[in-house]
Amino acid sequence: MITWRLAAPLAFAIGLGWVAAPGAHADDVTINVWTHEADEDAKVAFRELAAKNLEAAHPGVHVKITWYEKNPLLAALKTALPAGQGPDVLYVEPDWTEYVEAGYLAPLDDLIDWNNIETWARAVWMFNGKTYGVPQEAYTNEIYYNKDLLKKLGVELPANAQFTQSQFLDLVKKAKAAGITPIAQGVGDRPFPGAYILGEALLRKLGKDDYRKLWTGSLSFEDPRVVDVFKWTKELVDAGAYPKNFMTLKLGESHYYFYTKPGALMLPMGSWYTGRAFVPEDKGGQPKDFPLGVMQYPAMDGGACNQCKTSAVGASFAINSASKHKDIAAEFINAMSTPEMGKRWIETVYLQTGIKADVKSFSGPYAAYFTELMERQKGADYFIGGPRDLTRGECKDSFAQVMNSAFPGGLLSVDQAIKMMNTACFKG
Amino acid sequence: MTERALRQRAATPSPPLALDARRASRATLIILLAPALLLYAAFMVYPVLRTFWNSVHTIKPNNVPAFVGLDNFRALLGHDWVFWKAVGNTAIFAIFATIADVLGGLLLALALFSRVPFARFLRVVWFTPVLMSYVVVGIIWVWIYDYDWGLANVILRAVGLGGFEQSWLGDPRTALWSVMVTHIWKWLGFNMIIFLAALYALPVDVLGAAELDNCGWFAKLIHIIIPMLKPTILNLTVLSFVGKMMIFDLVWIMTGGGPLWSTETVSTYVYKRAFDWNTFDLGYPSAIAVLWFLIILVFIFALTQIMRQRERLEF
Repeated sequence: MITWRLAAPLAFAIGLGWVAAPGAHADDVTINVWTHEADEDAKVAFRELAAKNLEAAHPGVHVKITWYEKNPLLAALKTALPAGQGPDVLYVEPDWTEYVEAGYLAPLDDLIDWNNIETWARAVWMFNGKTYGVPQEAYTNEIYYNKDLLKKLGVELPANAQFTQSQFLDLVKKAKAAGITPIAQGVGDRPFPGAYILGEALLRKLGKDDYRKLWTGSLSFEDPRVVDVFKWTKELVDAGAYPKNFMTLKLGESHYYFYTKPGALMLPMGSWYTGRAFVPEDKGGQPKDFPLGVMQYPAMDGGACNQCKTSAVGASFAINSASKHKDIAAEFINAMSTPEMGKRWIETVYLQTGIKADVKSFSGPYAAYFTELMERQKGADYFIGGPRDLTRGECKDSFAQVMNSAFPGGLLSVDQAIKMMNTACFKG
Repeated sequence: MTERALRQRAATPSPPLALDARRASRATLIILLAPALLLYAAFMVYPVLRTFWNSVHTIKPNNVPAFVGLDNFRALLGHDWVFWKAVGNTAIFAIFATIADVLGGLLLALALFSRVPFARFLRVVWFTPVLMSYVVVGIIWVWIYDYDWGLANVILRAVGLGGFEQSWLGDPRTALWSVMVTHIWKWLGFNMIIFLAALYALPVDVLGAAELDNCGWFAKLIHIIIPMLKPTILNLTVLSFVGKMMIFDLVWIMTGGGPLWSTETVSTYVYKRAFDWNTFDLGYPSAIAVLWFLIILVFIFALTQIMRQRERLEF
C-alpha cells in the first residue's frame, strides 16, 4: 500500500520529472487550433506547413491542430465557447455571425498584418468597424462541364462562355434526350448546392442591389422578376435537369457522378470543386484526362446584371476572445497569410484566396484549368456572399428546404415555392 | 476465560453475522457513493436544471441572459408550425414503429422458439443489426434507398415492378415511413431476444399440460403464451415508445429532417434551433426540450398507471 509518507515524495518526483522533461522550455506555449476540412489533403498540408513554419521561427511555440468535419466542429465550438473554453484559433465561415454577436471572437484589427489580405475579403469579416476573421479561401460560383459531352451534343459554347436562358434550357433538353444527365447535383448532405442555378439566375435577373434586398427581407419573392426566374428553373426541373437521386446524392458523390460514373454534362459548384476533383483518382478525384471546362451561369432575359457573379469567402480563421495567447495565435494566422503562402495555396489547392498573392502564370498539371478559371473572371461584377451568408433562422431554413431541395427536386410548384419563401423571408 | 467473562459475553446481544459483514460506516458509504453522485449531478441533474433555466431566458448579444418568462413557450405553442409538424411526425413514428417493433420482435422470437430450420443462424442474423451503430445503419440504408442504384429500386425493377420505384427518402410521402422501416430493422432483434428469453422462462409444465389437453399451437399462443408474456410485452412497449419519442440519430443521418420537414422530429428540431440557426440563444430550443420532456413524462406516467392496473411492471 502506498502511504502518504511515500506518496508525497513520489508526487514531487513525478512533478519534477514533468517540469524537467527534455526539450521543454520555461516559456513553452501551445496554441490550439480547431479546423474543418480534414478530408482535403492539400488544405491539411497547407495549414500543417504554416504551423511548422511558426514553430521553426519561434522556438518554444507549439501548434496543435485538431481536425474536424464541419458539423462536429460546430457542435464542439457551440459548447466550448460559452463555457469560456475552446481553441485559441478557430475555423470560421462568414455566415457564422452569431460568434461575433456573442462576443466569442476577438477583434483582429491590431493583431493581423492586413497588408497581406485583399481589402474586399477583409470587408466580409467587418462588423461595426471591427474585423473578426481572416479570410483564407475565396471562391466563385461556376458551372463545370464535360467538354467532350458538349461536343457530342453538337453544341458550341458561346465566345463569352455564357448561354442565354433559352439556350441553356435547350441544352438541358438535348442532354436528357441523349440519355445524359444534364446536371449532376445532389442535396443529400448540404443545405445549398441545389440552389446554385436558381440563386445565380436571381442575381443576374435582379442585379446586386435587389438581390441583396431579396435575401434581407425587403424585396418580395412575389416580385414578377423573381417569379420569372422560378418559372424558368421549374422548366429546367421538369425537363429532367437533375438526377433522380438528387435528394439523397451527397456533395462528394455528385462530383464522382459528374466526372466518373455515370457521368453528367454539368456540375454547378463553387470553385472549391478542385478540393475533391484534383486528388488522385483512387481517392475519388477526376480522371487525369477528364475534359473539364468552365462556363458562366446563363444570362437571364432582361437581366439587370448578366455579368454578375457570386464570389464568396469560405474558410477563414479567427481568435477566441478567451484565448490567453492572442498575440501568438495571431502569429499563426499571419504565418498562413504571407504572400508566399498565398501563392502556395493557389498552386496546391487550385483555388482563389483572400490572401494577396502575386501569381502571374500557372504551372503544374492543372495549369490549363486555372487559366480557364481566371478567363471566366474577366469582366465579372462580383456580388460578395451567398444566400446563406445573408439569411438567418426561418428564412435560412426555408432556403435549405425549399430552394435547395424541394423545388429543384420537383416537389413544389412555382406558386408553392414562392409562397413558402415569402412567408419565411419577406419582412414587408 | 473466566466463567464471569463467558456469562457477560453470552448476555451481550450480537448482530447476525451476515448483516454485520455488510454494514459499512457512514464515511465509507459517502466515499463509495460520492463519485457516482457527483457524476450524476454534473451530467444529469445540472443539465436538466440548466435547461429549465434556459427555457425562461433568452441570450442577448454578448452572451447576456434576459428573463422572458413564458414567452418562449407562447411562441412555441402559438406560432411555430414546424414544431407542430415535428410533433406530428414524432407521434406517428412513436406509435407505428412501437407496434411494429413489439409485434415483429414477438413473431421472430416465436419462430425461433418453435425451432424453425437454421434457428441458430437466424438468431445471429436477426440480432446483428442491434450491434451496429446508427451511423453505419443510416449510411447503408441511404444506399439501399438510392433511386438509381439502391437495392430497393433494383429489386423492384428486377421483378417487373419498376413502376413502384421511388425516391424513398426524397419524397415527403415516403420519407418518414422509409426511416421507420430502417429503425424497425435495427431494433427488431433486440425485442426478439427479450421475448425469446421470456419464452424460455415460461413454465414447462403449463405448456406441457396444454399439449396433453390437445391444445393446438395457435390456441396455445393466444390463450397461454401471450397472456403469460404480457408483462414483457408491456415493458417493451413502454421502453420502445419512450425511445422513439426521442428519436434523433437515424433521422439526422438519413434525411436531416427533410424533405420539406416531412421527417422532422422534435429532437432534430431542437438540435436545429440550438445549433443551425445562427444563434447561441438556447432559450427557445430549451423551451421545446422542456415541453417535450413534460409530455413524455405524462405519457410514461399514464402508461405506467394503465399497466399497474393490469400487471406489475418488471422494471
